[in-house]
Amino acid sequence: MSTRWYPLYQRGGPQLRVFLPNFWMKLVRPTGEHPPNLVQFSCSMEMTKFDIKSYLEKIYNVKTVEVRTRIALGKTRRDPGKGYVVKADDIKYAYVTLEKGESFEFPDLFPGADEKMDEYEKTLKASKEGFTKYVEKNKQRPGMPGWFSI
Amino acid sequence: MRLICLKRSIAPRAWLQARSFSSPAVQEDDEYTASPQYPPILDLSYKKKLDRSFEKNRTEIRNVKTVEEKQLKLNMPRYYGFKTFMFHEDHIPYNCLPIAQHITKTHLIQDKELPAYYQNVSAENLETIAKDIEEAVLMEVEGIRKSYELREENLEDHDKANLHASAIVKSLSRILNNSLAHQYPHIADSQVDIEPRLEAAWRVGGMVPPNEVKRVRAGHHFFKQFENDPIDRVIGYMGAPILTLRSQLPLPCIISASEAENPALEVPFFKYDPRVIGIPVEYRHAANIPGFWPGDSHTFGLISFLKTGHLKKRSVVYPGEENVTEALNVQGVLASYGWLHSQANYLGFTTLNDLTYPLVTQTVLTNGQDFKFFTYQLNTLLMHGNHTTENPKRNVCWTTDNVKLYAEINDGKIVGLNEDVLKMLLQFYGNAPAERLGINMRPYLSQEEKIIADYEDDDKRQWLEREYKYIMTNRPRLQPIDEIYAWEKIYKIDHKTRPMDKRLRFFELFKKPWTKRLDERPARYIPKACRPDLPKYKGRMAKEYWP
Repeated sequence: MSTRWYPLYQRGGPQLRVFLPNFWMKLVRPTGEHPPNLVQFSCSMEMTKFDIKSYLEKIYNVKTVEVRTRIALGKTRRDPGKGYVVKADDIKYAYVTLEKGESFEFPDLFPGADEKMDEYEKTLKASKEGFTKYVEKNKQRPGMPGWFSI
Repeated sequence: MRLICLKRSIAPRAWLQARSFSSPAVQEDDEYTASPQYPPILDLSYKKKLDRSFEKNRTEIRNVKTVEEKQLKLNMPRYYGFKTFMFHEDHIPYNCLPIAQHITKTHLIQDKELPAYYQNVSAENLETIAKDIEEAVLMEVEGIRKSYELREENLEDHDKANLHASAIVKSLSRILNNSLAHQYPHIADSQVDIEPRLEAAWRVGGMVPPNEVKRVRAGHHFFKQFENDPIDRVIGYMGAPILTLRSQLPLPCIISASEAENPALEVPFFKYDPRVIGIPVEYRHAANIPGFWPGDSHTFGLISFLKTGHLKKRSVVYPGEENVTEALNVQGVLASYGWLHSQANYLGFTTLNDLTYPLVTQTVLTNGQDFKFFTYQLNTLLMHGNHTTENPKRNVCWTTDNVKLYAEINDGKIVGLNEDVLKMLLQFYGNAPAERLGINMRPYLSQEEKIIADYEDDDKRQWLEREYKYIMTNRPRLQPIDEIYAWEKIYKIDHKTRPMDKRLRFFELFKKPWTKRLDERPARYIPKACRPDLPKYKGRMAKEYWP
């Protein structure tokens, strides 16, 4: 049985449907420093260690040596309007050890994004500094327009 | 009432004080010297202050008089035990050799034969002993096999291998002890422990901080600069040898102390958190037990025999000859280091105060048929903090290949008995311990009292004995450590939804129960009937003797 809830078929509904599998794995950026042969995934809650091993071996032809899993508690937050506490879903993480010589590096998904961010932060900082200077300059002359200056 | 208070406050206190501080003129001369003497100018940077406090701690532990008190002092910072990364003898994770070498600072040399040192050790009477051993092996193999077959026990392969190994090692030891005792006085004098308790704990540095530590550091304006600085880990080792041999004197060194500083003896550096390879974490007191209690006359290890049955289970998960060799090397290195480390602790050295002379031990790994020999020279115990990189000394381990004692058993006869294995075994037994001339073997222990049994005060001796044994048992505390319940984490800590609740829990009172020290607990209560004739409020609590 599927763990997904699909809308019941009714007359007039689409004839062709896509049914997604229960098992999925998502490669995630590791949270701590790892040896090069360790890869971190988040995966569907139903997957066992054996499922993860065979998933990687059968579908992606990746040979695994060891699989360790943990279930991370979902984060809680306050509802902005009502103030009650809301909890996000738990996530199952899998730590997959590859063979000794193998290495995997998480790809740089958005090349150049860091530089753009740096540039943006630099301009933000410059404008903030400009504003503080302007405020400092006009502190002693309240009510005077900013352009009125020597 | 108020008037009285007022009168007291008016009393000329300052005048009284001034009078009491006046001193005769003779003393004033002593206050001055010809040249001014200043206290040393200390570097007040954070790192240097930290170093000085570590140094103070080290000196304090070094100055403690007896072995047991030193162990108590080592455990002093944590009432509920240290967060310890546990290495068990029969649980060896994948690709574990680099971390095993890093945490023991061991250079590993694998060769076909024993190191050149053993060429001087003779292996006489090989033929006569070989016959006895052949007979004993046959008997044990058959006997053990029948014992579980008759009882119809469904034993796993690794259990069977361990049973065979234990039986064969015990009879090998019996034969070798009996036939060599008249030839070697050190064998006649040695002590044999069967299945002794082996535990060791030490500090290792150089590994990256865990995420929680990094987060705390990053959130502080001063500690941000030290965000990625490595932090020390406490490592625990639990061994399960089949049999060990001990003597009164230490084995001679294989290499000199200066050779042990040779940078060519490379040790891999493992910088990651040990959890990345699947090392479990436990809260434990640091226990160092080499299979006997302090005060035993035979404090130096000669040989230890370990069983390798667990590899039957492991090689199903991690197949391949290479993985088996690696696991054997890890087991040999950790067991040798663990045993020597705990022996060194009984000589007054600790993980914070380094050895002043090398110690040597010999280890044999076997499943009854395959034998692997290790010779280990312990040169240093310092691995914490900066010592990971700055300490030039390293420990050295020599090991042979995994060789078979016999090829098979056919029709009740042993086929292909390998005399080389017997020769190496005889050389291990023949390696005679010798006195280290001109070396103080216990420099950090007191001259008069080396163990607590030397104390004459009955009460002190009994109190220390009880505390030491209790800490070394590592039983959980009667009252477990306070915990934060899940609902409290959500509704009290993460989201402050209960402002009207009484603030009674430890995290609301800014208390950290995990930082409780060993001596931060009330002393034993003495019932009134047992108290000496004192006023009611005195003598309720028993006297304590924390080091």
